[in-house]
Amino acid sequence: MTHPTVAEPWVAGPLRRLMDDARLISGVLLYPTGKAVGQFGFSSAADVMSVCALTSAINASARELGRQLDGKPFLEMHHAGVDRQVFMARCAAGPHELLFVGVFDRESSFGVVEIYFEEFQKAIEKLSPATEVRGKGPSGDFEGELNRSLDALFGPLGK
Amino acid sequence: MKGAFAEIVTTLSHLPGVVAAMIVGASDGLIVETSPMKGAASGGADSRKHTAALAAYLYSKVTRASDAARLGTPAFMRLEAERGQICVVGARDVVLVTIVTTDANLGRVRLDMMKAARDKP
Repeated sequence: MTHPTVAEPWVAGPLRRLMDDARLISGVLLYPTGKAVGQFGFSSAADVMSVCALTSAINASARELGRQLDGKPFLEMHHAGVDRQVFMARCAAGPHELLFVGVFDRESSFGVVEIYFEEFQKAIEKLSPATEVRGKGPSGDFEGELNRSLDALFGPLGK
Repeated sequence: MKGAFAEIVTTLSHLPGVVAAMIVGASDGLIVETSPMKGAASGGADSRKHTAALAAYLYSKVTRASDAARLGTPAFMRLEAERGQICVVGARDVVLVTIVTTDANLGRVRLDMMKAARDKP
């Protein structure tokens, strides 16, 4: 199992614990804008870029769908495939909203992932995001933010 | 089906020493039906969700260990802790989970859990 790589060091500990406890195969923590904060289980920046873009889009769609159907955004999403399952949920570090998407198989279960994600949410909340979160608000430069965060996770491309 | 599950947890939860009885999805670890937690403070942390998920997970691992040892499917799993016990019985797509006190009549709990698993719709 690979260690998480992080663009913002304050998430390294909680992300590692979540990965180990919930027995996740891979996962990405990101801002809703698509900027990656940390990841594990991926070896390619292109894969993380795809996950970030898709997660960001799915979150926006699911949030709006939740508002229309239930009057409030959905909190989490789970898709059970034949061999692998995807879990997607939100968490907050102070005023900053974050998204997490994780993949697991039969070595874990949705219930187990849910309870350890709750612990992850509490751990993230306890951190001091006011001083530790270096993320700025959305700049509107989706591609630029995504590329900068991927550079932080995997190193600059072509160097 | 939901009514039958409710009846099972009600019956099991009324056994002496049973603190809570639950029916949990075997593959996802989510609670299908549960009794209230006896003695739990109102508004206090509810550990049933955690217990259900981890007990189902543990039971799946015990099943693999039992298979590896060529013992077949486990009939009854009991986890003994300092202040009580957790009992688990598999029933195809669900597992029955009870949280019991140390002084509970385990023979009766075991018998009724296995009967419930056998008769489960």
